[in-house]
Order: sequence, then structure tokens, then C-alpha cells
Amino acid sequence: MALLNIAEPGQSPLPHQIKRAIGIDLGTTNSLVATVRAGSAAILADEKGVMMLPSVVNYTDAQMPLVGAGALALAAQHPADTLMSVKRFMGRGSRDAIGDAQRSHYRLAEGEEGLVRFITSSGERSPVEVSADILRVLHKRALATLGGEIDGAVITVPAYFDEPQRQATKDAATLVGLRVLRLMNEPTAAAVAYGLDSAEQGVIAVYDLGGGTFDISILRLHKGVFEVLATGGDTALGGDDLDAALAEWVLQQCGSPSLAPGQYRQLQAAARAAKERLSDEVSVDLDLTGVLPSGGAVRVTREAFEGLIQPLVKRTLGACRRCLRDAELDAGIDNIVMVGGSTRVPLVREAVAEFFQRPPLVGIDPDQVVALGAAIQADILVGNRPEGDLLLLDVIPLSLGIETMGGLVEKIVPRNTTIPVSRAQEFTTYKDGQTALAIHIVQGEREMVSDCRSLAHFELRDIPPMVAGAARIKVTFQVDADGLLNVSACEEITGSQTSVTIKPSFGLTDDEITTMLQASFSHAVEDKLARQLAEQRLAGWQLLEGLKSALAADGEALLSEEDREAITAPMTELQALLEGQDTDAIRTLTERLGRQSETFASRRMDKSIREALAGMSLDALDDEVMQ
Amino acid sequence: MSLPEFQKNYFQLFDLPEDFALDQAQLGKRYRQLQKELHPDRYASGSAYEQRLAVQYSALINEAYATLRKALPRSLYLLELAGMSKEDISGQQIDGGFLMAQMDLREKLMLLGELVDPEIALQHLVTEIGVDVNQLHEQFSCAYSVGELSAAASACVKLQYLEKLLLEAEQMESRLIDNQT
Repeated sequence: MALLNIAEPGQSPLPHQIKRAIGIDLGTTNSLVATVRAGSAAILADEKGVMMLPSVVNYTDAQMPLVGAGALALAAQHPADTLMSVKRFMGRGSRDAIGDAQRSHYRLAEGEEGLVRFITSSGERSPVEVSADILRVLHKRALATLGGEIDGAVITVPAYFDEPQRQATKDAATLVGLRVLRLMNEPTAAAVAYGLDSAEQGVIAVYDLGGGTFDISILRLHKGVFEVLATGGDTALGGDDLDAALAEWVLQQCGSPSLAPGQYRQLQAAARAAKERLSDEVSVDLDLTGVLPSGGAVRVTREAFEGLIQPLVKRTLGACRRCLRDAELDAGIDNIVMVGGSTRVPLVREAVAEFFQRPPLVGIDPDQVVALGAAIQADILVGNRPEGDLLLLDVIPLSLGIETMGGLVEKIVPRNTTIPVSRAQEFTTYKDGQTALAIHIVQGEREMVSDCRSLAHFELRDIPPMVAGAARIKVTFQVDADGLLNVSACEEITGSQTSVTIKPSFGLTDDEITTMLQASFSHAVEDKLARQLAEQRLAGWQLLEGLKSALAADGEALLSEEDREAITAPMTELQALLEGQDTDAIRTLTERLGRQSETFASRRMDKSIREALAGMSLDALDDEVMQ
Repeated sequence: MSLPEFQKNYFQLFDLPEDFALDQAQLGKRYRQLQKELHPDRYASGSAYEQRLAVQYSALINEAYATLRKALPRSLYLLELAGMSKEDISGQQIDGGFLMAQMDLREKLMLLGELVDPEIALQHLVTEIGVDVNQLHEQFSCAYSVGELSAAASACVKLQYLEKLLLEAEQMESRLIDNQT
């Protein structure tokens, strides 16, 4: 209820308790959870004091999936049951994921169009379910450390993630019962982690070489507002590829023997370890015990390694150039933030420093910086900082378009447009009496539909029958602050709403989510019920709290006595219900009260707009005084 | 739910005079101020209804900002405010000389790939187009300020040609970057 919580100037809001908010970096290789405590962001560790959770899940035992280091230890023994780097498969179709799957030695289920499913010895798993299992562990860790229900979470995604990949990430959180306050772009999170202590104004480039993806973002910080100017990257290039390049080279040195999946996993792990050591040493011996029957070791010099990864680093710089051009800067970059473990590689740092002509910031651990930034944003969004001292204005990374005649794409929302964004497009019928219209929506930069990512097929129905070309159907495409798409349509001549049926090309339908949720109910029904009650109570308390302070601030000014009464009566009723155990009654009343206070909320929104519009002159005065 | 009906036009929204010349600093400042109030992040823990409202307001402000920030959409918007329809604008007669010059520029762009140093040549070409763009801004501004809407619209249409050319130059640059890496 942030709107209703806006405090009047010079008047503090009602005393409110600090809410529990977490930031989660759901990484390709490792995942982390962080929170803000006593004003500063910190990573939460497990009971052994370990912060990083390897993003690995083992499904050999159907009853108990193993997550993290325990699963990683089983990777060589049960390669097909031990799913790693699953983030690469999020929101992707089987067809375009086949290459990645073969490389990782996963078996994919044939079947439904779209969705990728892995075959494990205890059944099929979707990338969403695997990610949910990782999130579940982090959620539990947060519950244990913070000592109570989590009010909200910010989950980070690569800036370059397209719509289905974002939706899949949100779906995974839904399966765990986490309330997602926002999907936040990883580079933006990193900038936030640094930005709060840095200069008040300036342009920041974030170079993010994650396990599976490369992102580059350019942001402008201006008095607490982070404006993303441009973002770019490569979803199929990451730290894993540096490891893979080294692994390939080592195999060649040994005469290219063919490896079993388990041995390949072993080799990859050895290559990663060698990469990490080469940041400090000029040469290392890569141990092949367990990889090849002959065992032995291969010596790798830093120079040889740099030769191998040079083309990959160059590819990232190409993306940087493109992003710089998109940002249309009139001056240079003030700061460069490095994200991702692979940015510890000296060659990467040198190449980035040379490209941007200044040394990158490396003060915050590149593995933790994203989770820390997400925690700060979560703290703000959940309402722990009533001042709202920071605002992020992010962009859509890839253009949205629709299919037109001849398989061409017409762009509706170009990439790097600030979100949220709403664009309307008019369509008409081409046959007399036509009552339905199909629209195919795609994401990408290319001209042909076949080269872009298919997002969904929309069908507009109930168009009033008219002669061809007479109907004017206005379709509104709205991208929200999470980068997710909503579509609505109406026929303008008659004003009739046409219904929109969405068939996502990838990702889960709402029904599938419900089924999955129900499946997880059967595991722990009791747990689930208790959690539902807790959640419902929380929602009720939030609404009550918000309404109380809103009424105190604006109740008299904006509502008649009768209107006030219509809100306060159910408030008293809800207050009483919250003491009890009746989840359904609490839900029903909370929803009803929510609807009843909509008009009040709208009036308050109008009032804050008027104030924002009127506030200009005062603000200008402040600036003069400051100068 | 329909978009919120802001009674104000984009210039009024940003507290700016309705003119082609624009105080970018004021625009940016006002933009950030409005988003600080209305962005959905400010309502992230609010009800679904509030969040929907905030998304719509915030999207509207983004749209207004994007329209005013750049010269071409701003000039088109000014013509729209002055009562010209899209058809009125696109129906403007364009002189043959301009179209010939366009074809020349386009040909230069197409032949870039065959040059020894295509990047430098591309830079030159982009600079050349930039000079033309500035002249057209000037033309638009003069015509608009004395109420010669048809002349202003014709400058707009020419600007659209040049913008399209710049977009193609950008795509060419992307290809050059790709080839290098």
C-alpha cells in the first residue's frame, strides 16, 4: 500500500514495523540471497556460513531433490540427473535449446511444443521447476535467518532476457510462494549496489560477464534516479564458455578422446578451477584424474588461456560498442562496474579498462554485487524507506513487434524504450463480416518473423461484423516494470471490447502453474495451509495499515462522511477476522475492502499527481537556495 | 481499463512552453520528478489496482518524455497539436532536388563496404547527414514559429527520410562491428 502510505511533507507516517525483504540473484552457476539490515546490504549465509549456493539440483532421489554443493558432488556420478546451468534453458523452446542440451549432456523430453523438459531418473523436470527448487532453498535460508515470513523479494534477471525468460523466472518464484516485488535487471542491481556510495551524478557502464550470459548496460545517475540509457549483450556467451574453450583445448592436447558425460563434467570443473587459479598464477597444471583413464595433467599457461578466450572477450567488446552508440552519450563514461566471477580474469579487466579508457570499479565482490543491489531495491520497494530515495527507470532490451504480410516484422516498441510503456496500434478487417483477427507477436531486432523470437499468438474475437476495412480495432501493448507484456483490444467505432485470447509460444499457462502448485500441495498440505493463512493475514494487515495512514492524511479532505464510513466499517470487521484462522473469510473481506477503497486510492493518486505538477516551482526555489 | 486521461498536453505536463526550442535540462528534471511520484516502484507493495494505475500513468509520462526529447517526434507532435493529421503531413510535396540528394547519400552508404576504411567513411557520412538534419530543424523552427504549417510539415517529412537513412547507417555500423569481432 505504498500509495496510501505516502507521508505528507513534514509529517511522518504512522510508526510501522520494518518489513522483511530479500534480493535474490538466481545465477547460472551460483545463486545468492541478501537483505538490508541496519541500513546496509548483506549476503545471507547457510548454517555452515557458506554464502554461495551452486545453482545445481540433483533429482536421483524423487522424494528429496538435492540442491547446491551436495548436488554438485553427484554431477560426475549422475550427470543426467544433476541439472546445472538451467538458467540457460529458462523460457526457451526445445528446438532452440537442443544444442545447449547436447553440450550439457541432458536428455530432453519430446513432446509439447515449446517447453523444454529434462528427463531425470525420477521423472521429467522443467527449467522452471528446477529454478523453483533453488529458490526454495534460498527462501528457507531467509526465513531461518530473518525469523519470519518474507514480505517481498526482488529477483534479478539478465538485462538481455526476453519476455518468456522473464516470465519463466517469475513463474519459478510463484511456485515457491515468494511474492515478487520486481524482476530487476542484473546490471542495474550492480549499479545500485555501487551507486549509493558514489557520486551523485554520472554515467555508469556495467560490464556483466555471468556464468551463461553477457550483459552490458549504460546508466545515468541523477539525484537518486537511475536511468538506464541502453542495454545490450549476448545471451549465449558467458563465463561457462571460457571454461568450455579451455576444456576443448585440453582435450585436443590429449588427442581428442571421446568422453562419457560424467567425465566431461569432471573436465569442465577442472577447467573452471584452472581458470580461477590463472587469475593469480602464470601457469597451472590441470589434473585429468577421473577425466581420462590415463589420468595425468596438462600444463596451461596464462598466455595460452588468454589466446583461447581472446575471441570471446572481443565479442563482448563489440556488444559494448553497440550499447555505447545506443546510449547516445554526449560525454564519456564516469565509472565502470564489473559483475560476475569471470571479470576477475586479468585479460577481461585489461580489455575493459582499455576499451572504456578508465580502470573498472572492483570494490564489491563481483559475485555478490548483484544480490546486494537487489536487496537494496527490495528494501525500497517493500516500503522500508518511506522517502523512496532511489528510483530505477529501466528499458526493454529487445524490440517488440508484430507479424505483417509476407512474414515481415513491424516494430511496435523499439529496444531501449523506457518501461513501463504502452503503445496502441490500429488494425482492421480485410473481409466483409469478419469477426476475428489473429495477431502474432514477436521479440527481436531482425526484419523477418522467422529470425525473431515468437512470443504469443493473440486472437481477437467478437469483432462486430462490418464491411471489410471498416472496423478499427485498437490493440494496446503494455510492457510493465518487470518487462512483461499485456495486451488489450477494443473496436473503436462501436466501442465494444474484443476479447483477447493469448497463447504463449513458450512458458507456462496459468493452468499449468495451478497444476504444479497443486502437485506441491500434496507434498506438504499442512505447511501450505499455514503459509496461506500467514500470507492472507499479511495482505490484510498491509491493507489495514495503509488505509489507516491514508485516512489519517486525506480521509477528511477526499471522502464524504458516508464514503469514509463505507471503508471504516469493513476495516473494523477485518481487524477482528485477522485474529482468527479463517483464511477464506480474510481473503474475501480483504478483496472487498480493496475494491471499496479503489476510488479513494484513485483520488489520492490524482492528488499526488497534482502535487507533483505543482511542486515544480518550490523545487526550483530549493535549487536556487542550494546554489 | 483505459489509459488515464491527462487533460494536459505533453508540454504542459512538463511545464514547458509549446515550442520547437526546448529546455532539455528542464524536461529531464521534470521527467524525473514525475516518475518519482508515479512510477510503479512507488506502489510495489500496493494493491493490484494501484499498481495498474501506476503502470498506466508512468507509461504515459515515458511516452510524453520520449515524444518531446527528440526533435522529430517533437515536431510531429507540434503539428498534431496545431491540427494537422498524419495524412496531411505525409501528403506534403517534396522537391526533386532533395530526393536526388537522398539517393546519392543512400548510394554512398551502400558502397561503403567496399572501401578500405569503411568506418571512417561511415563517420563522414553520418556527420554529413547530421548537418542536413540541423538545417531541417532550423527550417522547421522558422516555419512553425510564423505559422507556415505546410512548410513545417515538409521539413518534418524530409527529417523522416534522413532519420531512416541514419537508421540504416546504424545497421551498417552494427555489421561492421560484427565483422570485426
